[in-house]
Amino acid sequence: MYLRTEKVSKHFGGLKAVDEVDFHLRQGQLKSIIGPNGAGKTTLFNLIAGVYPPTSGKVFFRDKEITHLSLHETSRLGITKTYQITHIFPSLTVFENVRIAAQSRVTSFNFWRSTHSLREVNERTLEILEQVELVEKRSWLASTLSHGERRYLEIGIALATRPEVLLLDEPTAGMSCAETNLCAELIQKLNKNLQLTIVLVEHDMTVVMGISDEVLVLNEGKVLAEGTPQQVSDNEEVQRVYLGER
Amino acid sequence: MEKTNFNQKTTHEKGRADWLRDVDAKPKTRIVWGTILVLAVLPFIISAPLAAEILIWGIFGLGFNLLLGYTGVLSFGHAAYFGLGAYCCGLALRYWHVSLWVALLLGVVASVLLACFIGALAIRRRGVYFAMISLAFGQMLYFLALSPLKHITRGEDGLTHIPVIHLFSFSLNKPLPLYYFVFVIMSGLLYLTFRILHSPFGKLLQAYRENEERARACGFNTTLVKFFSLVLSAFYAGLAGALNTIYLGYVPLTTLFWLTSGTMVMMTILGGKGTFLGPLVGVGVFLFLQNTISLFTPRWELFVGTIFVFIILLFPGGIMGTLREKYAGYQMSKLKKRSTLS
Repeated sequence: MYLRTEKVSKHFGGLKAVDEVDFHLRQGQLKSIIGPNGAGKTTLFNLIAGVYPPTSGKVFFRDKEITHLSLHETSRLGITKTYQITHIFPSLTVFENVRIAAQSRVTSFNFWRSTHSLREVNERTLEILEQVELVEKRSWLASTLSHGERRYLEIGIALATRPEVLLLDEPTAGMSCAETNLCAELIQKLNKNLQLTIVLVEHDMTVVMGISDEVLVLNEGKVLAEGTPQQVSDNEEVQRVYLGER
Repeated sequence: MEKTNFNQKTTHEKGRADWLRDVDAKPKTRIVWGTILVLAVLPFIISAPLAAEILIWGIFGLGFNLLLGYTGVLSFGHAAYFGLGAYCCGLALRYWHVSLWVALLLGVVASVLLACFIGALAIRRRGVYFAMISLAFGQMLYFLALSPLKHITRGEDGLTHIPVIHLFSFSLNKPLPLYYFVFVIMSGLLYLTFRILHSPFGKLLQAYRENEERARACGFNTTLVKFFSLVLSAFYAGLAGALNTIYLGYVPLTTLFWLTSGTMVMMTILGGKGTFLGPLVGVGVFLFLQNTISLFTPRWELFVGTIFVFIILLFPGGIMGTLREKYAGYQMSKLKKRSTLS
């Protein structure tokens, strides 16, 4: 298995945010995690990405244990996350935002060489700006972008770190209907054209059912159901949780 | 937003080069040469001792700005590095009669080592907690020099009887030779700072300031970033302290006092933190006002304070900071106009 968690749990005081979850991911897959608010979706993400260590359980990537690696270490292995609440570098330009991420794979503590001379990094930055449709606004300050554009920039920054696995935390949050559709299209293209393995936390059911290979349903920190979009939407238990039927 | 185009390559190489020109122009060293030119004639515009003091504090400010302005970390105990540099240089000159270069080196090395030590202990603390811990260390050093080490530091009297230093038959207790000695060092440091700010590491400092969590998610060890930034700024502070000893010919105990740290914070904010020339301008304005007004009244703080209030009202981002904002706003409106036209 490419990426998996083994009975992974995270407790915050008395709250079991994630409770013995087994999560499996194959290379090249686009898998969505859904569930009501507070189901533990973001927490599971953070456990995989190494934002904090799990209370118990293990995480493996390419058969190597990564349970106790921290955020910057998992990022170097190729697992990159985006944030539910936009995390960009607001008073830097759009170009700089992406370049910083692109430079992370080349050099960090060189204090003499000019970034101007890092040609590959700069070319790569432009390539990514093209992919996320921000090349026209490359010299704008990130803080002057619209909400939708910032969400794209967020994805751009993540892409620039050359990830193998992309953890997208509600990328379409706060987007208009039209923007959401374009974003879904973008995600699908990243998956199909760039062969990125993607895990998606998403509230928009049309997006989830439309583009996912597989869906995992979490509820109160536990796995409720797992399967293809069709299997999951037919599942009675899932319907009960989502629609509140008794 | 337009439809995403992935498969077709809509642009060719030439287009790319054009795009890069906008956002990644070759860094221009004009600002460095211009500043050096102004500094070269400074002692003929204002008095040489004042000019020398501005240069020394300017070096301190350059380093402090790397930490506060670019990395976004507030240290309220930078007097520790400045003072330690000053004392180590002074003690070595007085007791060991070492040469000028050895004394300067000792001052710098001591400050850098202290920064490594404080950094190792406090680097994981953030914001105001880091500021408080650095203040505590600073005061610890102050009181250490005040009484337990009185027999070597001479306590409240300050360290006196430091021999006059000669360099190529110029004695450095004269204002002009001293000024040009510091000027050469300052020129080197201006260029170094410029290189740092345009390097991958310099960009990383800014990324840390803007969003530490995101910088981590990009794969950067942000704890190390902050640590190096602290050590780097201590290098500047230690060198400034050591030069201050050469300039004054003695080491006043106040170099270690928290007020020295506070003054540095104020100078940097006044000039504009996070701008290349901000600290230099801040130091210049502060020391000029202090020197001029104290000629007329012993209550110069009252007047200088009032002037600061007005400066900050006029320039909320500091003098250079607000000027840069205005310029950036003008550029931005041009860009927006261009993009609505096309």
